[in-house]
Amino acid sequence: MPDTQFEELRFELTRGGVAQVYVKRTLLELEEHYADLESAALAEGLGADEASRRAREELGDQRAIAAAILSRRELLCFQARHPRVANYLHSAAAIGAIPGLPLMYCIEHRPELARWGVSLSLAVTLVGGILATLNWLIVLV
Amino acid sequence: MAQTNPPFMSGVPELLVLRMLSAREMYGYEIVKAMRLITGEAIGFGEGVIYPVLHALEEGGAVKARRKAVNGRERVYYSLTTKGKRRLEQLSGEWRRVSAGVNSALTGTTGEPQDA
Repeated sequence: MPDTQFEELRFELTRGGVAQVYVKRTLLELEEHYADLESAALAEGLGADEASRRAREELGDQRAIAAAILSRRELLCFQARHPRVANYLHSAAAIGAIPGLPLMYCIEHRPELARWGVSLSLAVTLVGGILATLNWLIVLV
Repeated sequence: MAQTNPPFMSGVPELLVLRMLSAREMYGYEIVKAMRLITGEAIGFGEGVIYPVLHALEEGGAVKARRKAVNGRERVYYSLTTKGKRRLEQLSGEWRRVSAGVNSALTGTTGEPQDA
């Protein structure tokens, strides 16, 4: 069977919210099943085209397979099974990330921030030293 | 109160798959062939629809899957778990009860009032 036909099934299943682990497994198993059916038909003496046609027929209509998978709620991903809960969790995660963003920025740019920190400390120390010296000179004079 | 039979219609594929797997570990194609053989091809279906049944059973813990390379082909073998064996017993019991009821209805009297 041409891969593009399974690609359509993959698209249907993914769009329907089937968990990726089952999408991949289904396609792998259908490909193997199709190969077995085709081999059996060839072993019976059918020509390549006829064997392919029969294998496709015995495997069944892909829309029917997709419908059978999509009707199994337990095979859907969490987001497809509980869309509202998933939306709440996404919102909560987004809100939770807001205070975390500056922290993540600091962690990501820690070498630059360390350099800035050292530079600032040196500048403060230098200016403080100059001011202290001037103050001392004023007091002496 | 009469017991309802939700698995009566929807549980038939599960029952047959579990029954096939109670014999030995199998992959999808083998299951379908064994099913056709054992039922005398009485049940017709597109063979591809066996996979959602297997995956749902796996999700429910009734069967477990493992990948195995055989002659350069990657097969997914399914085997029955303890939970699956219990489920098979349960579904078999329900099916026998329903089947006995239907047989009784087909062979017995209709229950209509008899003319005097």
